[in-house]
Amino acid sequence: MKQSSIFEVYEEQKGKRRFLYTKSILKGNDVYGERIVNEGNDEYREWNPQKSKLCAAILNGVPNIFLRKGDFVLYLGSSTGTTVSHVSDIVGTEGLVFAIDIAPIVMRDLVFLSEKRNNIVPVLADANMPETYRERISLVDFLYQDVAQKNQVEIFLKNARMYLKKGGYALIAVKARSIDVSKRPGEVYRQVFNEIEKSGMKIIDKRNLDPFQRDHLMLFCKY
Amino acid sequence: MSYIFSNILGTFIIDNNLKIIDRVVYQHASDEKRLLLKHGAVKPDNDALKSILGVFKDRAYSEKFHSINLELTKAGIRDSVTDEFLVIEAVHAIDDITKVSNTLMKRFRGWYALQNPEYEHSETDNEILLGNVLKANTVKKEKISMGAHFSKEDIEPVMELGEKIRVLYRLRSSQEKYLDGVMGRLCPNVSEVAGALIGARLLVHARSLRRLAMMPASTIQLLGAEQALFRHMRTGARAPRHGLIVAHPLLVSAPQKMHGKIARGLADKIAIAAKVDYFRGKFIGNKLREELEKKFAA
Ligand SMILES: C[S@@+](CC[C@H](N)C(=O)[O-])C[C@H]1O[C@@H](n2cnc3c(N)ncnc32)[C@H](O)[C@@H]1O
Repeated sequence: MKQSSIFEVYEEQKGKRRFLYTKSILKGNDVYGERIVNEGNDEYREWNPQKSKLCAAILNGVPNIFLRKGDFVLYLGSSTGTTVSHVSDIVGTEGLVFAIDIAPIVMRDLVFLSEKRNNIVPVLADANMPETYRERISLVDFLYQDVAQKNQVEIFLKNARMYLKKGGYALIAVKARSIDVSKRPGEVYRQVFNEIEKSGMKIIDKRNLDPFQRDHLMLFCKY
Repeated sequence: MSYIFSNILGTFIIDNNLKIIDRVVYQHASDEKRLLLKHGAVKPDNDALKSILGVFKDRAYSEKFHSINLELTKAGIRDSVTDEFLVIEAVHAIDDITKVSNTLMKRFRGWYALQNPEYEHSETDNEILLGNVLKANTVKKEKISMGAHFSKEDIEPVMELGEKIRVLYRLRSSQEKYLDGVMGRLCPNVSEVAGALIGARLLVHARSLRRLAMMPASTIQLLGAEQALFRHMRTGARAPRHGLIVAHPLLVSAPQKMHGKIARGLADKIAIAAKVDYFRGKFIGNKLREELEKKFAA
């Protein structure tokens, strides 16, 4: 196990395959059935790129994910917490992840997860209405969005405007088919780039998530 | 000048340098007012708000953010359980029970037919067959039968299986009765026009009463026939005339050539019923149903 080029992310090379891990802040617990590797006093949870777009983006070569120990994160579309749990490992006990999802059924699992991990704050809310959680969260260093909604870019920009600090970083997983099924992905993406850059946000990196997730693009932005 | 800001942590007075100069931790509307008067503070505009939110980006508040949001989210999850969830679970339970009882009934028939193939062959209705076989001495064997003679010991497990299948049939009908009740509460009009089970299936497909109420009749007509519809668009195969509503008594009893027309009429009335239910209007289900029956009943 060695530290990868990305902060708080670890890796192992086995033959041609590269495996990623995060160091677990809560020993003796897997979150979604992932493999756990013990080394010395530490425990590492394998990060599955089929199940987590952030992991797929790293394996596809992003040089930096701009996420640091101690960061406050706003995570939109947390679902049952697969990726959230790795983000929680990365920011560590000094950091905090506000995890928002609109669906009560998946939120249930997130509540169970947050009861064990103190740095995950579950918020049942609609990311399309950021003013409804203004009293429940703080400003953040980092915004992560994966909501598969038609107006996902609008949601992203609204939340950044309200909650992301100046100079903070923001990631959005764009799913072409949820924005417009009739257009080709390339065309949808171009429209997304325009919309984001018009808002004053800078796009620093674009990653296709093939072969782990089809027709998905991960955008890394600076506010 | 100072700002007043409230969140789940409390009510705060924050000065120009973003220092908290006064606070009430457990807020009441009256606390907010008291602080407001005491400091003559103003509500922040959007720019100031963002800076103030930054004040709370601090580890000192993490624990409180965590515990209070956990409670709020638990309450939110609790309050989100509506009759729609109950309908969805009940419909799935009914489908599961049907699947399981059909599978077991096939096994029962095969097993029982070893002793009495003639009767098993002659009775096609599962529930009647089961009822008669389980009632002692009601089913006679033909004089010259292909059935083997079974010892008491070999008959017993077959009968025990049959008993359990009968329990499943009863379970299914009590769950249907329950579904009737919930549907009557949630959407009495849809339930009256479509029938509780079909109505419930439409609801499951639409995912909520709200979405069902917003659907045009033409969509409701084809709800559940999406695969056939896509096949039609892709290959030019015949367009489907109906989806889930195909099981409605008016369609089941009608000649094929009337199906398109009846399906359209039925979907029209269901669409009206769903809107009335969603907006909690009066009960007009019986009127809608009578209109349909007058027009289409054989
Ligand atoms: C593709 S899943 C996210 C998977 C997750 N990011 C992970 O990697 O583990 C999308 C989630 O977005 C949620 N979602 C969709 N619309 C939303 C909205 N308007 N506000 C909040 N969450 C939303 C869905 O409930 C779903 O759980």
